[in-house]
Amino acid sequence: MSRRLAAALRPAAAIGCALAAMAIALALLGASPLAVAADLADGAFGNWIAFTDTLARATPLVFCGLAVAVAFHGALWNIGADGQLVVGALAAGALGPALAGAPHTLAIVAIIGAGGLAGALWGGLAGWLRARRNVNEVISTIMLNFIAAQLLSWAVHGPLMEPSGAFPASRKIAAAARLHLYFAPTRLNLAMLFAVALAAVCELGLFRTVPGFELRALGRNRRASAFFGLPIARLTVGAMALSGALAGCGGAVQISAITHRLYETISPGWGYEAIAVALVARLSPLGVVPAALLFGALDNGSQAMQRADGVPAQLVYVVQALVIIVMLAFDAAAGGGWRELLEGGAPDRPDATAETCDA
Amino acid sequence: MLETRSISRRFGRTLALDRVDFQARPGEIHALIGENGAGKSTLVSIIAGRLAADSGQVLLDGAALRAGVSAAALRRARIAAVYQSPMLFERMTWEENLALGGFGAGASPRELDAVAARARQIAAASGFDLPPPRALVADCSVAERVRLEIVRALSFEPRVLILDEPTSLLAPAELKIFLDALGRLRAAGRIVVLVTHKLAEALAVADRITVMRRGRVVATMPAADTGEAELARLMIGALPGAPARPPRDPDPAAAPALALAGVTLVREGRRVLDEISLTVRPGEIVGLAGVDGNGQAELVEAIAGAVKLDSGGIAPAPGGASVAVIPQHRDRDGLVLEMTLWENLLLAAPLRARLAPRGFIASRAARRFCAGLLDRFAIRAAAGSACAAGALSGGNRQRLGVARALAGAPRVIVAHDICRGLDLGAAAQVRRGLAEFAAAGGAVLLISTDLDELLECCGRLLVIVRGRVREAPAADRDPERLGLLMAGAAA
Repeated sequence: MSRRLAAALRPAAAIGCALAAMAIALALLGASPLAVAADLADGAFGNWIAFTDTLARATPLVFCGLAVAVAFHGALWNIGADGQLVVGALAAGALGPALAGAPHTLAIVAIIGAGGLAGALWGGLAGWLRARRNVNEVISTIMLNFIAAQLLSWAVHGPLMEPSGAFPASRKIAAAARLHLYFAPTRLNLAMLFAVALAAVCELGLFRTVPGFELRALGRNRRASAFFGLPIARLTVGAMALSGALAGCGGAVQISAITHRLYETISPGWGYEAIAVALVARLSPLGVVPAALLFGALDNGSQAMQRADGVPAQLVYVVQALVIIVMLAFDAAAGGGWRELLEGGAPDRPDATAETCDA
Repeated sequence: MLETRSISRRFGRTLALDRVDFQARPGEIHALIGENGAGKSTLVSIIAGRLAADSGQVLLDGAALRAGVSAAALRRARIAAVYQSPMLFERMTWEENLALGGFGAGASPRELDAVAARARQIAAASGFDLPPPRALVADCSVAERVRLEIVRALSFEPRVLILDEPTSLLAPAELKIFLDALGRLRAAGRIVVLVTHKLAEALAVADRITVMRRGRVVATMPAADTGEAELARLMIGALPGAPARPPRDPDPAAAPALALAGVTLVREGRRVLDEISLTVRPGEIVGLAGVDGNGQAELVEAIAGAVKLDSGGIAPAPGGASVAVIPQHRDRDGLVLEMTLWENLLLAAPLRARLAPRGFIASRAARRFCAGLLDRFAIRAAAGSACAAGALSGGNRQRLGVARALAGAPRVIVAHDICRGLDLGAAAQVRRGLAEFAAAGGAVLLISTDLDELLECCGRLLVIVRGRVREAPAADRDPERLGLLMAGAAA
């Protein structure tokens, strides 16, 4: 088997191993693994409504997964996609009611743009702290997640609270700013297409443009990047801002297409789940789409599974975690890829082994 | 007696060692010479237990050594090795590194002061300098790292000491002391295996010499019975081409292509670059001699624009496309090992401008361009331009860096230790490339610890000592005088 094919099959093998481990656990619990799997699949893909719901659940994961993948390529460990999504949603929810009377297209561009801009500022702030003050972005983005969550909570209990004051939620956004549900009552909308288009743009940007190349070089060898005069500070701020913008767009799309208003619980932790999505996708932007679909399907199918088999829905989180662990183990065994990127830079290879690798 | 019997080892499609028989006697210094890829490093890695052989045996005094044994077992067998790329933990102090290596076998890991004291004792006996107390290995120069490895190896009082190209990074003064130390080990009846590509050195210190070529031992003979010409012929089958023509004198009226004025850099309170002023004119190869760790690496960083100066100026401004820099640590500073060869070319700004017009990478053109470069510079890569840089051998990585610098058509090339670890043919080719570049009007600043190389290639010579640069008078153009200047003697 060729090396590349083996690498491409590794995520599938990891998912298979995780599911097998799960099946054993289920059997030990006395449930039938096959029945559980069937109910899980039925809940995720069994009918048109279930399928479109899976798509709707996967959409924010695509946005956040892209955010994580882009930043990780530059060895910028953005753990803050959740906060960036929240501020994106917050901006969209704040602007949305004011867009009444605007042309539909303009309103959509405005509401998603506002979300992207807010996310870019949130992510860019962490990037700026990293570039100027050498603040570890893992810590700053986690802290910014907390701040974003509190900001949202304050907004829906305070300035943005709906007029009756009965619920901690904002007013509905203007009809003009809502992405249509084309097949009501399903939640199918244009957002998923938008997300796939963004994935393609990210793929091209990372692998076909100079800034994308520079970001990948920076992520893999910071010292060499300095030696060759790459604009490290600009790349750091830019990549974090772009990453935040992607997550922020995801938040805005969620408001525009699904909820139409802000709630305190707008994100069930998509930004964190997205880290797993990006890892399963091996940081490939196009790979984020199927990975997000998988995680969306697991999330969506878990309810049906719980109803039908009495197995707790939380079990799918165990599956998701197992996928990551098995995949990292596979990668470590294959000796490369992830491990090198995670450890930052290349280890000094002894010439004794390197000397013999060429033709 | 240390002996290998019919050792073979294959890496993929390459037969690295082909039924190698090798013997080294107690009380002898045995030089192992050969070109890059001849199998020297593989052979010593197998002797030291770091690699397993596919077939064959290693015997010490008639007893077979098991392959892949633990470091502790090797220490009991008293085989110590110093490798080409030092094996040290970057983020720990050198004392901690020595302690982790089972330094002195008796020192408790916690007693770092005792470790340091013992290290100083060994270093003093061997005539080496050690880094300042509690210095991180990450901040140590390559030469300092090699010295640490040698001190560690000597602390085991080894019965067999294997040295894989240790001397290429030592200053002439240190080299003599080091070779004397080897002589003492020989007198004590130990077996010293010295891997080197410097023929003169092998002839000067070794009792016997084994020559390898393409995975086979082609000859073993007493050093007294042979000479450089014969060894070179055995190693590569033919003598390398004549050395590059000495560079002609540049036009003294020409404006300098590279000018440094009062360049100063302070790190942790130390002036690592101290008021450095120098110029390099078009058509000139200026040599900068110095013991590694006297500011050369920082100077290259400064010219590349990778550090901010405390004072002084560099013209042209760092970061521009007209100056190409070839750093000393090719893997750490010069390449992105996980990226393909053609992507590594794009690191250089001029090539990025050419192969990525308007910000979009023309990957097909880049691959083609890279393939042409591989061809022209005889860089061997199994998968061509799509090969990861990390899959190349050390010598080929080095040549890729040189090829990239030349391909960018810069006005100035700053090259740091570019022939380190290259075999004769490859080194001659690299030097010829620089000479042709200078002959075509390019300016070269060649930084090296190898005086023979500098004397052969360069016009003017400068010496760097503790961050200060001064011109070596023309009268001092011989290795001995230069060695004294490098050690800090007054001009």
